Amino acid sequence: MANKAVAKPKKKTVRIIIRHLVLTLLAAIWLFPIVWLVVTSFSGYSGINLTHFFPEEWTIQNYVNLFTKRTAACNFPAWFKNSFIIGACSCIISTSFVLMVAYAMSCMRFKARKGLMSFSIILGMFPGVLSMIAIYFVMKMFGLTNSIAGLIIVYSGASGLGFLICKGFFDTIPASLREAAKIEGASELSIFLKVVVPISKPIIVYTVINSFLNPWMDFVMARLMIRSKDAADWTVAIGLYNMLQRSLVGEYFSIFCAGGLMIAVPISILFVIMQKYYVEGITSGAVKG
Amino acid sequence: MKKIKKYFSDFGTAVAKGDIWTKLSLVIMGAGYFGRKRFMKGLLLTLIEIGFFVFTFCFSWEYIAKLGTLGTVQRKEELDLVTFKKVVNDYDNSLLILLVGIIGLLVVLAFIALYISNMKAVYNAQKLEEAGKHVNTFREDLKELINKKFHITLLTLPSIGVLAINVIPIIFMICIAFTNYDKDHQPPTYLFGWVGLENFKILFSSGTTVSFGYAFPRILAWTLIWAAVATFSNFFLGIFLAKFINNKNTRLKKLWRTLFVITIAVPQFVTLLLIGKMFGNYGIVNTFCNNIGLTGFLQNIGLVSKGLSYIPFLSKPGWAHVMIILINIWVGVPYQMLIATGVLMNIPGDQLESAKIDGATEPQIFWHITMPYIMFIMGPSLITSIVGNINNFNVIYLLSQDYVTSNMKFANSNAQEIDLLITWLFRLTNEESNFKIASVIGIITFVICAVLTLLSYTRMISGEKEEEFQ
Amino acid sequence: MKRRFMALVLTTAMAATMFTGCGESKTDSTTAATTAQNSEKADSTTAATEKTDAGSTDATTAATDPAPASTYPEAIQNLISATSGTVDLTLWCSETEAYQTVMAKLVDDFKATYPDVDFNITIGAVSEADAKDEVLNDVEAAADVFVFADDQLTELVNAGALQEIAATFTYDPATTNAASTVEAAKLDGKLYAYPLTASNGYFLYYDSSVFSESDVASWEALEAKAVESGVNVGMELSNGWYNYGFFAGAGLQMYLNDDGTTNTCNWNATDTTPTGAQVAEAVSNIAKNSSFVSMGNADATAAAANGTLKAFVDGTWDSGAFKDAYGDGYAAAKLPTFNVNGTDYQMSSFAGYKFVGVNAYSKNTGWAMLLGEFLTNESSQTQIGVATGEGPANTVAASSEEIASSPALAALAAQAAFANLQRVGGNYWTPAATLGQQLLEGVDDYQAVLDEAVLGITQ
Repeated sequence: MANKAVAKPKKKTVRIIIRHLVLTLLAAIWLFPIVWLVVTSFSGYSGINLTHFFPEEWTIQNYVNLFTKRTAACNFPAWFKNSFIIGACSCIISTSFVLMVAYAMSCMRFKARKGLMSFSIILGMFPGVLSMIAIYFVMKMFGLTNSIAGLIIVYSGASGLGFLICKGFFDTIPASLREAAKIEGASELSIFLKVVVPISKPIIVYTVINSFLNPWMDFVMARLMIRSKDAADWTVAIGLYNMLQRSLVGEYFSIFCAGGLMIAVPISILFVIMQKYYVEGITSGAVKG
Repeated sequence: MKKIKKYFSDFGTAVAKGDIWTKLSLVIMGAGYFGRKRFMKGLLLTLIEIGFFVFTFCFSWEYIAKLGTLGTVQRKEELDLVTFKKVVNDYDNSLLILLVGIIGLLVVLAFIALYISNMKAVYNAQKLEEAGKHVNTFREDLKELINKKFHITLLTLPSIGVLAINVIPIIFMICIAFTNYDKDHQPPTYLFGWVGLENFKILFSSGTTVSFGYAFPRILAWTLIWAAVATFSNFFLGIFLAKFINNKNTRLKKLWRTLFVITIAVPQFVTLLLIGKMFGNYGIVNTFCNNIGLTGFLQNIGLVSKGLSYIPFLSKPGWAHVMIILINIWVGVPYQMLIATGVLMNIPGDQLESAKIDGATEPQIFWHITMPYIMFIMGPSLITSIVGNINNFNVIYLLSQDYVTSNMKFANSNAQEIDLLITWLFRLTNEESNFKIASVIGIITFVICAVLTLLSYTRMISGEKEEEFQ
Repeated sequence: MKRRFMALVLTTAMAATMFTGCGESKTDSTTAATTAQNSEKADSTTAATEKTDAGSTDATTAATDPAPASTYPEAIQNLISATSGTVDLTLWCSETEAYQTVMAKLVDDFKATYPDVDFNITIGAVSEADAKDEVLNDVEAAADVFVFADDQLTELVNAGALQEIAATFTYDPATTNAASTVEAAKLDGKLYAYPLTASNGYFLYYDSSVFSESDVASWEALEAKAVESGVNVGMELSNGWYNYGFFAGAGLQMYLNDDGTTNTCNWNATDTTPTGAQVAEAVSNIAKNSSFVSMGNADATAAAANGTLKAFVDGTWDSGAFKDAYGDGYAAAKLPTFNVNGTDYQMSSFAGYKFVGVNAYSKNTGWAMLLGEFLTNESSQTQIGVATGEGPANTVAASSEEIASSPALAALAAQAAFANLQRVGGNYWTPAATLGQQLLEGVDDYQAVLDEAVLGITQ
């Protein structure tokens, strides 16, 4: 192609223009719903606008309502706080669990290792929706339903199963590094903490992002675990989902859009900061994962 | 077989040849250590033993004992209308019996294992002492835990988590498949009991009144088609998009990439609900299509039934199937693009260079060098995403909110054409309380996923490739 | 056990009115015997299990004597004196702002009625339509008192989630509420909930600047005018709750069997006039009209607001939205008639009610019952009616001027004569929704479609 392009510079320019037109079209398709989300969040009409893409009336009242309104269906600051606590805690627990399991599976050799690995892979296949009700009753036995602690446990408890990608990453760490430390008399614990963890930044970032996002996205499990119908006890996902109920959507749709955009903020920040590592994390893990 | 035999014969030897302290360990687990002045360890084991007996005999035993019947006493209540005191009989709760029974049995099994290994360890200590060798102190044992036995330290907490959140619920739901837990047998007021393979028969027989047998194979087929199409469409389109943006002729690569990545930032459930509303029967897209006459055109060429005044993007089979796959592409391609970009950047440059020198064309390079490399790196994650898509709850559930099936056979089993197994069983449990059938479906989904995964992962698990890079 | 309730109740003058129709009557002499026997049983069970405290055992013994009528006022006194510490109650009611506000006020009034007791009452937002699912997910974690729609009564009772209202203490729901509402709250002659509103049915909203009163009398006239004016009319045809009206209106049957779970349905009958297939064809023809749209409430209110939809079958919960949309033209009427083979049939409907139920697993049954009673007494029903625009079940409250003047409620009252009690087994809804969808899209063989639907409904 390159040779032809040199021969016919005109054709090349046309191609580049077409290439950019295609990209523009694709980007437009991808951004279409997002733009609708943005403009509707500034709409003066509170329901779903069925005829106009852009609102007839512009206002920032939806954002004011989102942060100040306290009704049975709206308490965004509390939701945000709950989701943030859950996200932060479960991402700390999940990340440590994943690193621990991955280290044990990748760097240590013990009898049950392969058996445990096959077992854990198979476990991950069971449809989560089905065991939800059982999880609910297990948590109820310990009095952990309706609480933030309960949700943290539910989100992070089984996270050890997601060790595969991380293990793939650890597999690529030269064994000589660890052996050198061992010869110097370091314990496995200090090898783990001082040798392996510091060079695993990409995979840690990848795990952190994924486990932090979980509570912002999941509404099914959260709705089951949080039985309280007091809006102050909900997470962002439960609250926003609730706004689209038949009887509320007419009143809350534009506030829903505003809320949806607001949760995009922490996620975007996280992504922008960590994007580089995120990609590295996935790909390096996947090399062997 | 031999291993099992050895496991128990070792235990026998320990009992037979043990000295008084070792034999005493049969009753008081810590005794063997007390005898060898390892008091901390002895105390710890004895405490575990006491804890076990308290838990089992004060709590879980009454549930384990009822596992056979899942309870016999139904709840009865009486309210005294003068004093407002309520008397409720000591009723059985089948659900709790099953759940606590399972937990109790697991605890018993774990204790037996601990008991046997303790006997062996105590006997070992005895032998060590007899040989005049050193028996580890508690402090030394702890040191072991951060060294040679570090994996035990690492795995304990995560395993407990997995047991509580994953294993126990799964065993529970598998058991439910063999009971009659449904709308008419809901604890705590009513009891449910074992029915054997009855539910499997219902699902696989196409009776006249219950059409589970009709709906199941169809939903299974769509689930598999969906999983394959959704995974591969995202995979390849993601790579193409990444290639397209990374091409040297593209200006402002970063900007284009960011434009697509923006869509990831808004949580999936928000965008899905939003798109669902946009493409609703009377949504904004339909208004446009109507205004520009597209609806009428489609009606004329027979793609939209004349009875409808809208394009049934998400409300008729066919249309909805295609739309859901397209929307899934919308949702998934940016992720895939992001990952593929990372992979493309890592392609060994020398290979590309030499190919170019040899005069290979762009497509040749792509198909012979780039793709194999990408497949090598991302192949395993493809299988993960197929399994993920089989269990992709959000996309289907959030987009099928306004869907009403017009196929009575689906309706009679509470299913819809666009349901995946997983959304179907969510509907069955959440709205119809039909836990028994849902469990059967769950088990089948599980088996399918497990087979798929095992096929792809066996190489990795059993392979010796792990050390290749280390 | 239930017999003992009956016995107690029957000996009191107050509850006698409630249970006249129940047919399980016992004479006073047998009553005492049964009661004694039962309480002995209760004693032995409680003693054996150690689960119930000694206090309640005593209480059971004390109650062995058939209570004279005059003890009921004392019951509240008993409850107050037996209550120590804070009484925790949860109340679930609709998530709409109007409901939440008025319920919060009523709860405050309730607290003020019993100043000696320390209450902690939480109000949660659960739509009446979802109450059943939410309660049955985990009945022990559900609210003590909850508002629900009457179609859920059977399933809630079948799951044992509702406390039987064996007696009332501050007023008598059986005499103050419209008879039909009380009948709907009963199952097998036992009252299971306090009637709250009688307006959970549906009727036709229309814009009187487009349609005249004679236009809205029949679907045919309505659609003709709509086509002429270039506007839409409609209803949610793909929903069993609404499309029932056509079949029931033409005299076909669909009701819950005595077993409480299965249905009887003859919508596919060929020996009736008109036959099921003729009705289905008539419905399908109505739906084929270019002005007809089938959409859900949320879409409908939006479509009314933007001026395309000018008449729609809906209930009081959307009255505010239609009032805003139609402005001065806002009007409501009973459902239109429809024509089958040259004969006009009045469209029927489900008469819908909202009830206040008490959770059978409530830890404070007594207070929960009193709260339920308080929320449904005449004054509370009036306040709720005014705040939400719904029609009270209480006859006095319903006739109060503010409420009776509402066009929506007047339309409901006109429809009431053609409305049927909603006693439907769970297997009705999905097949009926699908039937509606099929009629909407048009079918070739009406009989086959109906046969299949009836098979599903009656399974």
